[in-house]
Amino acid sequence: MTAVMVTTSAMGQSVTGATVAVDTVLDRRTREVASELRCPVCQGLSIADSPSELAQEMKGLVREQLASGKSPEQVRAYFIDKYGEWVLLAPKPEGFNLLVYLLPAALVMGGGWFVWRYVRRHTDTPAEQV
Amino acid sequence: MTRLIGANALIVALGVTVVGLLLVTFGARRQRAEWVEAGYSATYLQFALVTAATFAMIFGLVSHDFSIDYVAQVGSRATPLYYTVISLWGALEGSILFWGWVLSLLTALVVFWNRDRGGKLIPYTTATLLGVGIFFQILLVGPAHPFGLVSPVPLDGPGPNPLLQNHWLMGIHPPLLYLGYVGMTVPFAFAMGAMAAGEVGDTGWIRLSRRWLLGAWAFLTAAIIAGMWWSYEVLGWGGYWAWDPVENASFMPWLTATAFLHSVMVQERRGLLKLWNLNLIVATFVLTILGTFLTRSGVLTSVHAFTEGNIGYYFLVAIAIVLLLSFVLVAGNSEKLTSDGQLEGTASRGSVFLLNNLFLTAFTFTVLVGTLFPLVAEAVRGVKVSVGEPFFNRMTVPICVALLFLMGVGPALPWKAADRATIRRKLLPPAIGSGVALLVALFAGTRDVFALLAFMFAAFALVANVGEFVEGARLRMQQRGESAPLALSELVNANRRRYGGYVAHLGVVAVAAAITAASTFKTEYEGTIKKGESLKIGENMAVRLDEVWGREEPQRAVIGTTLTLLKNGREIATLDPRMNFYPTSQQPVPTPAVRSRPTGDIYVNLQAFQQDGSNATLRVIVEPLVPWIWLGGMIICCGALISMLPVPGAARVRAAARAESAERAPGATTPVTAS
Repeated sequence: MTAVMVTTSAMGQSVTGATVAVDTVLDRRTREVASELRCPVCQGLSIADSPSELAQEMKGLVREQLASGKSPEQVRAYFIDKYGEWVLLAPKPEGFNLLVYLLPAALVMGGGWFVWRYVRRHTDTPAEQV
Repeated sequence: MTRLIGANALIVALGVTVVGLLLVTFGARRQRAEWVEAGYSATYLQFALVTAATFAMIFGLVSHDFSIDYVAQVGSRATPLYYTVISLWGALEGSILFWGWVLSLLTALVVFWNRDRGGKLIPYTTATLLGVGIFFQILLVGPAHPFGLVSPVPLDGPGPNPLLQNHWLMGIHPPLLYLGYVGMTVPFAFAMGAMAAGEVGDTGWIRLSRRWLLGAWAFLTAAIIAGMWWSYEVLGWGGYWAWDPVENASFMPWLTATAFLHSVMVQERRGLLKLWNLNLIVATFVLTILGTFLTRSGVLTSVHAFTEGNIGYYFLVAIAIVLLLSFVLVAGNSEKLTSDGQLEGTASRGSVFLLNNLFLTAFTFTVLVGTLFPLVAEAVRGVKVSVGEPFFNRMTVPICVALLFLMGVGPALPWKAADRATIRRKLLPPAIGSGVALLVALFAGTRDVFALLAFMFAAFALVANVGEFVEGARLRMQQRGESAPLALSELVNANRRRYGGYVAHLGVVAVAAAITAASTFKTEYEGTIKKGESLKIGENMAVRLDEVWGREEPQRAVIGTTLTLLKNGREIATLDPRMNFYPTSQQPVPTPAVRSRPTGDIYVNLQAFQQDGSNATLRVIVEPLVPWIWLGGMIICCGALISMLPVPGAARVRAAARAESAERAPGATTPVTAS
């Protein structure tokens, strides 16, 4: 029910008539950055996925900036500046946002400890028998 | 006229439901069997009245009676009949009406099948169902009244939301979802009924609600998969799951119900987890209501958010009442909920079920936190944040991988403590299977650690679950001399619940493997091509643009392209991705063309076109194994169905138990079934 993140897909370039050199590294980096940015006119889709025109333009912008030598962090900063923190599909793990990452992790650890104790207490070993 | 019939039926239904609730509750308390009987009859009357209102609405829609405000809101003379009928659930009021109708149907069925049972369990279960019914009927006469009068009567309406009238799956996905959602009310009602009747210590309520739960779970599974399919076929992005709030809302109760399906076996076998199981059932029900609240109140925007308004407060109050009542009932039954059994060994199936519950709960919690976090962040920091796919993938993929692993370990381990030799014998073939999967995945170019783990453990679970069938069937062939097919079918027949579960596991393996493959090996090609030109897809395929065309339909304008799919220069298929323009929507609604083969799909979306038809921009996505997601969903539902089929001989036992309980005085507490 969940999608494993795309990491190895090499996106093809549009080839019409003549063969165009395919810059797979730039393509992959574009896809990586674009998949973390939210399409402003869609329902929770990233600009990498969205078929909308605006998303296509934004994806082109990501590509241009990466090609001009900007780091992914700088590209993200540009979009945050323009659209606000909202544009990031995964909140930056800092400050208050840490909650959304740490709460589930805390539940797994606390729950794991609880299950461990529960199994020990309810297992038929003579020493543990209540 | 139609409007008045519908509106009045709803008002009378509310009255009948209130009276029915009072009758069954006080009838059970004061041991007045005739009151309880009258209350039971009220559930039939309630069903008849809500049915009348629902049919009045369908009639209003079909006859374009625009004096009804719901029809004026979603109807249009140009909309085809099919989409007119299904616009019953195309907006808030209609979908609440449909919800209320399904609930009244299920209430009547619960009463019909169980009314001969003595004791207080069924009256209190009925009371719970009627209580939930009252909530929906209050919505229907109040904030979500669908039969308001429009004056002056408009000549035509805008038609349903374009997204909801663009694909036939819209006639399938919502009813399945409502059957799943509303179906979860029934096990909840049995749990509340058992607590109110003081019968929560034994497993009677669990046995009575087992098929209801499985049925609701199967519907919810089918609904989620159908929703994914709809998203894939209509939204044009080549994906099927976007962690949209409403998707999350349907997924959370599925997760908790799945946890319950497993942990309940620990209670039945070992007398443990009684309190936990009650919590899971209450949580499942509350999550269905919470999901409806989140998506229908406009608190969170989503593809599915219909309207904004004060309806949200009604849901919040309802959730508060449910939580309060459950808390009071659990507290009142606390001494009956103590664990009286033992697990037999740390490495046993029971322990695996506990871990399964840990991870399913963590999964639910992660989705819940992620879905609600934007609200919390805005309230606390005053800043809008998004929590979307990258977050959910990062957080939940490890959980999925762990669950896949447990899905293989659980069936392999016995309930009793397993010795090392058994563990080794049982887990060796799955381990070999996962090794092979690892090599194949590496060879195919997978480098992502979690994708590799997902392939490995999917293979692990596949071999482990298939192994259970093979081992069981082989044993029968040796001991009874049965032929292979006979041994297999008899094996499943002899323990449908268990082997149905394994079939469901196989479906989950298919879904998990397909999703991993589709997201790992997905490749995209995009380009603008002129008529007669081709866009290359990978090594040896291409699509050629043959024509750009347009046509007018009564409710929309369609622009389409005719494409030829070429493989090694040979024509192998014709594809026609389209864009649909509805007068009520600025954005066109796409109809991508999908060519499905067992190995995967070629998904073509029309992104843009030149007005004069000289060129078109296409996006082609090659998605391996995607059809196995839909197929896997069907396999899961088949598994649930097998598990639901009555065990041979059980009907006789039940009939005997019923005859026995009928002999006792009405109102007396009776054990529910003998096993």
